[in-house]
This record gives sequence, C-alpha cells and structure tokens, in this order.
Amino acid sequence: MKNIVLMSVAVAMLVLTGCSQKSPEVDTTKSADTKVSSVSDSVGATPSVSDDGSSLARLIASLEANTKVIYFDFDKFNIRKDQQSSIEQDAVLFNSKEANNFSVKVEGNCDEWGTDEYNYALGLKRAKSVKDALAAQGVNAERLMVVSYGESNPTCTDKNKACWDKNRRAEFKILP
Amino acid sequence: MFKKILSVLLFVSTLFAADATVEVVKKMDSLPKIAIQDATAQDVDKDLRIKFFKILVGDLKVSSHFRVVEDYLQSSYEGGPVENFLSDKKPDLILRFKLSKSLEAVFANIKLINAKTGETNSEKSYKIADGSRYPFLAHKISVDVNAHIGAPSIAWMEQFVIFAKYTQSKQSEIVLSDYTLSFQKTIVKGGLNIFPKWANKIQDSFYYTSYAGKDPSIYKVELKNGSRTKIVSGSGMLVCSDVSRDGKKLLLTMAPKDQADIYLYDLATKRADKITDYSGIDVSGSFVDNDKRIVFVSDRLGYPNIFAQNINSKNVEQMVYHGKNNNSCSAFDNYIVYSSREDKSEFGGGTFNLYLISTQTDYIRQLTSTGQNLFPRFATDPDTIMFIKNYKNESALGVIRLNANKTYHFPLKTGKIQSIDW
Repeated sequence: MKNIVLMSVAVAMLVLTGCSQKSPEVDTTKSADTKVSSVSDSVGATPSVSDDGSSLARLIASLEANTKVIYFDFDKFNIRKDQQSSIEQDAVLFNSKEANNFSVKVEGNCDEWGTDEYNYALGLKRAKSVKDALAAQGVNAERLMVVSYGESNPTCTDKNKACWDKNRRAEFKILP
Repeated sequence: MFKKILSVLLFVSTLFAADATVEVVKKMDSLPKIAIQDATAQDVDKDLRIKFFKILVGDLKVSSHFRVVEDYLQSSYEGGPVENFLSDKKPDLILRFKLSKSLEAVFANIKLINAKTGETNSEKSYKIADGSRYPFLAHKISVDVNAHIGAPSIAWMEQFVIFAKYTQSKQSEIVLSDYTLSFQKTIVKGGLNIFPKWANKIQDSFYYTSYAGKDPSIYKVELKNGSRTKIVSGSGMLVCSDVSRDGKKLLLTMAPKDQADIYLYDLATKRADKITDYSGIDVSGSFVDNDKRIVFVSDRLGYPNIFAQNINSKNVEQMVYHGKNNNSCSAFDNYIVYSSREDKSEFGGGTFNLYLISTQTDYIRQLTSTGQNLFPRFATDPDTIMFIKNYKNESALGVIRLNANKTYHFPLKTGKIQSIDW
C-alpha cells in the first residue's frame, strides 16, 4: 500500500529569489535634490532686497502672509465669483514694488475625496485657473509657475464639510 | 482524489463564471477542508510561529479554494495516529509546518498529509535568507499547497506590493510589502514621494515621482543597490501611470504647458509623444490590447469617466456609461474595473465603489459597498483585484477574489495609502 502513496519528498531548498536583494533604502533627505538650487542663483536679481538671507526670508514670509488663498467648489476648478476680490488683491500684491521682482509659485490643492492621480490633475487645473486670472489682472504670466499637491497638503484634517472646503484651494509661494 | 474533485468543481464554476461580471456563489461545502499544524520546536520564538500560522490560514482563506480550520493546532513533525487524522476536525488535508532559524535565515519544513489515510502526500523544505521576509515564505508554501490540489494559481500572493503612504503634509514614504502588509520596508523617505510603479515583471526596480527638486521628477530606483536615476522632470505634475510589457515605454501624465495630458515616453530615445489632447483633465493611462491602446480617465464630458484610445489615433471611445464620477480604472483583457462615486454631494456618505464591466457585454458588477474604494489594480490574473480602501479613519489594502465573490482588507497601522502597484 505504501508503494502507491505519493511520497514526493521534494527537499527543494527553496530560496526565494530576489527577496534578499530588495533591501536598500533611498533617503531623499540626504540627497542634494532636496536643496532648492534656484535660491542662490536669483538673489542677485533682486536689487530691492538686502543680500542678507534672513532679511530676504523675512520679506518673503511677509509677502506670503499677505496673499489671499483662493478657494474652490467641490470637483471644480473655475474661479468663483466670491473669490474674484481675493484674486484682485493678490494681483496688486504681486505687482507691488516689494514683490514684482519675485516669481510666484501657485500651488493647487484638493480635498481628500477621489483617486489621487485625478486629484493631482484637478489641483493643477485650479493652480492654472488662478495663474490665468492673475495674468488677466496684469501679473506677468512668466513670473507665475504652477504645481499641484493633490490631497497631500491639507490645512485641515477634520472629517467635515467646513474642513474639506478649506482644503480645496490654491495658495502661493514667493520665489526669489 | 482532491485534484479530481476540485477540477470538476472548478470546471463547473468556470462554465458559469465565463463572464466575471456575473456573480457566482459557489458551494463552499464542496471545497477541501484543510487544517494547519505547527510542529515547530518550542525554542523558536512563539510570536513568529503564531504569525506564520496566521499568514498561512489567511492565505488559504484568501485563495478561496479551501475551507480552513482556523484553530491553532500543534503536533510533532513526525505525526502519529491522532495527529495525522484529526478526526474531531474532520479535515481532508493537513498542512504541517516546522520552523527553524539560523543567523538571519528562516527555514520551513512542511508536510501535506491526506487526513483520510494519514499518509504524507508531499514534503518540502524552504528557506528565506532574510528572516524578516518570512511572510513571503508562508505565501510560497500557500501557493504550493494550492497548486498541489490542482486549483487555479494564486502565484500573485508571492508578488511584492509597492505603495506610497502619506505621513504628514507634503510628506510621504514609499514602502515595499507583501499583499497582507505583514512585511513592510520603507524604501524611499523624506519629502513628497508618490505614485510608485514597478518597472518590470521581475520587480527589481520601480519608478516614482519625487517633489524634492524645483519641479516634480520621475526617478527609477534599482532595488539591488538603491541607485536612483532621474528619468524626466516637468512642471505642474508628473506621474508614471503604466509601464509597457517589455518595460521600454512609459505612460506618463505630464503638464509641460500647465495642462495634464497622457504621453508615451520612450526610455531609449527619451522622447515623449502626446497621446491625448484635451483642454480638461486626462490622467491614469493604462496599456491594453498588447500595448497598442490605452484606457484612461478624462473629464471631457464634464465629469470624470473612463475612455479608451488607440495610441496612434485621436479617436476616443467612452468605455463606461454608468456613474457620474468614475475617477480611476484598471484593465485586463476585456475587463475594466473602475471606482465610481455614489453620491454627487461630497458629504452624503462619500462612498466610492468599485465596479467591473466587460467590453463584450453590457452587464455591470458592483464589487464593494462601503467606504472609499479607490485605485483598483488587476493582478497578473483577471480573478484578483487589489485596491485602496479608506473607511472611517482607516486606510487599508483590499483584495477582491472575483470568482469567489470575496473581499479581504489589510489595514495600515499609520498613515494613509496614496497609491499602490503590484
């Protein structure tokens, strides 16, 4: 009887190929790429700003604090009527003597709903809408850059409508 | 004997499940019943033994090809008149495992015993050099046990999963894991690192988007030595959505003029050819039909929906005629799985469900019913789908077994899953 038992003693010393190789880490905090390489290049092009880095940083922080965040409706990227005055105030700020030598990065953001790749595209459309609206108010479009952060950059993490409203926004970074 | 029974069962179920969009509820009573015995020596870490046992139980349940006795049972490795039959549990099969450790390695010896005759059908030894990856050892055993009874392959359990998870604002990490998240290793950290995508089938390298520089950039990382190569940079947004079967071309969502469109990027020539051309949103390109066609998400009808287009043509075909917010999809042969928002308002439960359609029929099969079910991805077979499940405050990997009509969730302890690939 034992002869017909399927006694396949397959002592296959199975090494899971590839597994042991998958170990190294990439820590981008240690990478040169994390440095904002453009900062030092363009400081010289801003004569109204002191060469003192901390003074420049204070000016940038002050300008950014005075920008108006632009908010959007759910799943929309058009500029709402109630946001038009904020656009106009931002345009005045960016064309002011203090700011008009800086570039401006428009960052588009989304709430937590939806799949991320679509949200990144939606955030980009929001940033582009703001860029176009600022350009229509006389800001040189060549000074305006856009980037999307999708849902990665919430200002509010509560789970309610008021919070999601705050996250659907475009905001600004001043670049020397 | 089990092979014959299961073959008949699977043949019958295949007859009825030829269209995966049609639900078939199989008679679970007909599946072979399996019990798992731990025969590991007591000096081996008990935590490891219990975890190993639980992974085996989970794998065999997820396979949907067994009825699994979930009681933690211990035995000697040699067995005996009681241990080889387990008459009180009435199993058909017994999977007995014995673990041992040596330096970093973990070894497993297993026996597969016919509990009706008490005789050993098969015996094997396994080793994994890096013991921290023992879940893959368990998955390999499960795949082999499943193959032993002649059931359809569950080799996808051995695949590595790569995912990005948000840790805080503008911060995310890329993590290598198994499909149950029992094994996890952070591969990329520091800054915003998103949309990891395997570069090839052997999973020895991957692409991802980094926000570390002035503009988003796609990098390729070799897992063997951790080396990074910049593939392309671009303003606005940049995502590697898919890789061709031969690994030579990428589908990228790029926005060189602040406008997101899908491009075909040739790695050899470094040339990007624009495929879609629409002033709204076109994202999430996925190769189909031997890489000659793409399926993608577009808002060209005023809401996100699923479309298809030949790579060398501008003619766009609408693929889904259901739902008003279908924002992600994955294709396999004639099947498309997509995520659809159920409620137009953003606060009416906010449910996103997964649906399966066939391009050959009009039938739609709903696959999920609660929470946000997003980012579906077919496995290497059309019977298994992985997705992201966000429910209440929990973010999890989900696995759907279509033929068995079963869904399993594997929650992440910290962070929120951003995207997955496997």
